[in-house]
Amino acid sequence: MTDKETVRFKILRYNPDLDDESSFITYDVPYIDRQGILDALHYIFQNLDTSLAYRWNCRTGQCGSCAININGVPGLACRTVVDPSKTYILDPLPNFPIIRDLVVDLGPGFDRLKKLRPFLERISAPERPENLTREHVSAAMELRSCIECFSCYAACPAVASAKQEYAGPIAMRELASLELDPRDQGDRVQLAISSGVYDCTSCGLCKEVCIPKHIDTRRNAVECLRALAADRDMGPLEGHMGFINQIKSSGYAVSVNDTPFTEQVPAIIEVEDPIDEVLFFPGCLINLRLQQIGHNVVEVLKRNRVRVHIPKDFVCCTSVAFRTGARAIAYEMVLKNVNYFKKLGVKKLVSLCPGCMSTIKQDWPVVLHESEQPPYEFEPFDINEYLVKEIGIEQFNKQDLKPLSIKVTYHDPCHLKRHQEISEEPRKLLRMIPDIEFIDVEGSDRCCGAGGGVRAGCRELSQNIAEIKINILNGPNPDVIATSCSFCFLQLSDAVKDAGLNKRVMNVIDLLATSYRGESLN
Amino acid sequence: MTFEIIDTDILIIGAGGAGCRAAIAASDSNLEVTIITKDILGKAHTVMAEGGINAALGNLDPIDSSEIHTNDTCNAGAYLNNQYLAEILSVDSPQRVYDLENFGAIFSRTPDGLIMQRPFGHQTYRRTCYAGDRTGHEVMHTLTQELRRREIHIIDEVYATSLLRDNSHIAGVTVVDIRTGNFKVFRAPSIVMAAGGAGRIYHITTNAQADVGSGYAMAYKCGVELIDMEQIQFHPTGTAIPPAARGRLVTEGVRGEGGILLNKLGERFMKNYNPRLMELAGRDEVARAVATEIREGRGTENDAVYLDLSFLPSKIIEDRLPTMLEDFLDIGIDIRKEPMEVTPTTHHVMGGLKIDQLTKTNIKGLFAAGEVAGGVHGGNRLGGNALAAGQVFGKIAGCSASDFAAKASFPKLDRNIIENEYLRIMAPLERKDGVGSSTQKRDLQKLMWDKAGIVRNDQGLKEALQFIKNQQEIANSKLLVNNKATRYNTEWISALELHDMLIVAEMIVRSAIMRRESRGAHYRSDYPSLNNEEYFVNFIIKQQNNQMVIEKMPVIITKWIPPWMGNPN
Repeated sequence: MTDKETVRFKILRYNPDLDDESSFITYDVPYIDRQGILDALHYIFQNLDTSLAYRWNCRTGQCGSCAININGVPGLACRTVVDPSKTYILDPLPNFPIIRDLVVDLGPGFDRLKKLRPFLERISAPERPENLTREHVSAAMELRSCIECFSCYAACPAVASAKQEYAGPIAMRELASLELDPRDQGDRVQLAISSGVYDCTSCGLCKEVCIPKHIDTRRNAVECLRALAADRDMGPLEGHMGFINQIKSSGYAVSVNDTPFTEQVPAIIEVEDPIDEVLFFPGCLINLRLQQIGHNVVEVLKRNRVRVHIPKDFVCCTSVAFRTGARAIAYEMVLKNVNYFKKLGVKKLVSLCPGCMSTIKQDWPVVLHESEQPPYEFEPFDINEYLVKEIGIEQFNKQDLKPLSIKVTYHDPCHLKRHQEISEEPRKLLRMIPDIEFIDVEGSDRCCGAGGGVRAGCRELSQNIAEIKINILNGPNPDVIATSCSFCFLQLSDAVKDAGLNKRVMNVIDLLATSYRGESLN
Repeated sequence: MTFEIIDTDILIIGAGGAGCRAAIAASDSNLEVTIITKDILGKAHTVMAEGGINAALGNLDPIDSSEIHTNDTCNAGAYLNNQYLAEILSVDSPQRVYDLENFGAIFSRTPDGLIMQRPFGHQTYRRTCYAGDRTGHEVMHTLTQELRRREIHIIDEVYATSLLRDNSHIAGVTVVDIRTGNFKVFRAPSIVMAAGGAGRIYHITTNAQADVGSGYAMAYKCGVELIDMEQIQFHPTGTAIPPAARGRLVTEGVRGEGGILLNKLGERFMKNYNPRLMELAGRDEVARAVATEIREGRGTENDAVYLDLSFLPSKIIEDRLPTMLEDFLDIGIDIRKEPMEVTPTTHHVMGGLKIDQLTKTNIKGLFAAGEVAGGVHGGNRLGGNALAAGQVFGKIAGCSASDFAAKASFPKLDRNIIENEYLRIMAPLERKDGVGSSTQKRDLQKLMWDKAGIVRNDQGLKEALQFIKNQQEIANSKLLVNNKATRYNTEWISALELHDMLIVAEMIVRSAIMRRESRGAHYRSDYPSLNNEEYFVNFIIKQQNNQMVIEKMPVIITKWIPPWMGNPN
């Protein structure tokens, strides 16, 4: 705790009856231990400015009235504790019309919900007592805990760019809660499709802002509805089918355009005095399209005296199938990979691609469990996580890193930050490169629009989201936009080109390899 | 002046559990139903009910019955209950729980797939149906969904200021549309008052901010009779920090799992009050003990005592009290490692608008249900009976209101009264100088807490009454709203609320002065025992010739005879 006496709040003020435009007013609020944002608003209202309009009711996170944008992130004022080391910018929830100051009109959101027939549909009343087992209702129960604060809707990058086409995470949650209710007889999947279920980029921000309910809308609503759509031959979209069919025919999600990475390197890459050994899972993109990134991963691992095994016969992790609901092919590929890796017998598996890695960490175990197979026997690591936590910052080979005098910003891949909670590690690695100027930007973890099958299925939406992201990343005018995902890499590279910017997009690993090799970037 | 008049057949004031249930029942007719709420549909205080909803389904204890439920209810209520109402509550609640299931609610299940029921304080059998620890939210979410299914006009964020009459009939209500600040009139031959409780007139409360008691105040001003307003339930444990969450309920489960209460000296003080039951003594007793420790200077700097669980294995806390753990972690307190600070907190108003079995008040066309209605719970309310009463009497009120509206002619409005109401509402906006409502409100809340709270006495109550009369003077002549823009002007709404709060405070204090005994939740240090001879009566409060009068009325007894009248229980 600091001994700071006041905390500064900049609050967006706007009364459409009187003001031409909105403006920020600054208030200094005495700091009290464990004060919430709502306490600060009360203090301002009672002592500094009675004209401040904000909405609240239960003050315990049960009613969802007090959701506002807190330093750019939607959340409940009553459940957010003030950090005295910060300055706060408070503005109303985005994606809604402003009534006054921090108060928005949620009407458009409610109207949207109302159009989804958001109520139990059954043909006749049941006999009493009605038998419903816990197993039957537990999935729907979790989704029914929503307090309709609309933080998810306000935070969602797809809603912001798709506008009315996407009814948003809250609507998907409502539809899934009814679809998963064994009593409901309505067709929720068709409604989900017409309400934009394929617009979700899987970024997972909806769950992050869902405090205190923590509803996993991406997994338990969006992906669940997409899987049901696939089961009923109503999905996925045409743009996704190319990838799915490619996996079915070749085992990979993309076609070969050059010698695959796995064929460019030996099965085991030896180093002197190895301190560890790992199996490097390249994923389809690195193997077939972005081979140089694979070589860079190997370079960095070698420099850290790690023996690298290359799985010559791996197949797609089937992230794309999981994300778009095509589960049958996913199951086949997962079992193939797991059995193959078992034979190779390496205890640690490393990947650069967070799409692959979060699928391996989160979806594969479910497949194994449901297929009554034993769990996999290796430990899965994202490459950044591996270098920082397994090798360790102390042991990490810093002495061979040569200076790179460039300015760099970083884009957090959603599948890395939200789905694996890895965000500090890549930053630590970047900062180790001598002479590098690393500038973190607000909004570094906003989605780039590539994930969830959106890049393939809804290209225009994907590009719109990417355009917003590039503007954020380009704020400090960097030489290089760094990330740590082969898919974000492709998306951001395209967006840089579309925006006509003269910037390079590189993975953290690419920068490390460049620095080890002592190469320049020009 | 001009103002918009909105006509509807049936108007429901309040969109909590009772109001929404009333709207659903009323919409089963072919009449037009409008529901107005001070907040937003789905966000009423009902969402905060954690524990459950009582219904003698007998899923776990087949021997349970509505008779036993009624008996438990009257017993807890110190027999001040209107026994007709208590019986209706018990008889109807199973069907109302099934209604909720039909609308889409999912309650926690038994291993056999039936609705799960938990034991709750002072109830003979396991009767309380629940949905995890968010039962009220499940009920509210379900009702919201059901309202969205139906053709019901839902009007969010309007503040009702006064009921209007057409002679002996109800005629409508004046409102401020909070979002624009516009003054409007809703005209209806049939109105259901379901505006909820008044916890907010106390300094510390579990209640949402909307619960300032406007329903009671509007009814009183309109000539409605109210009952037993001195009966206010205090819960022994509410959180003490952070300030905005002060009073938030800390569930009884914490003490149930073994939590102990300590004063600032580290003394387990319940041993001085009830060495046998310690922390598990009755709610009233524990609340009084905690209040006494704080008043006598053995509380913490946050005017609280400690509630400690940290000696328990973390696993138990994580498994059995997950919501409590998370709520406190959010404010930086790890209850696995450190104690909570707790204070007693105002929880429920048992008194309210006097209703009969059809929820009729003494004004034709005006019905009442939910916390705003009195008589169901008597002197103290059982946990799980509030959600039940909202559903049971909400349904009845909706049916009664539509039956009445079907045969009623449209009421006439008195333009003079409406214009006077407009002037009253606009006065604090038009004043150039005066006093703001924030301090006035805080002073009133502190006064009610200190003088008309958990422990009361004649002198304190009389001081409170004097203070209230003075404040009413100020409110009528000097109240000032600095911020003149009418759009979403919470300073203005807050000032108008002060008038309502003062009326409710006066009713509570006057009734408390008159009841010179301790019964139910009403505790008088100068009269600490029951006095059945003089006070086994209900108090009826009404406005007569601009005076607040209180009359005694015999308690309505049907089958459940109090012990002092020969009941062997």
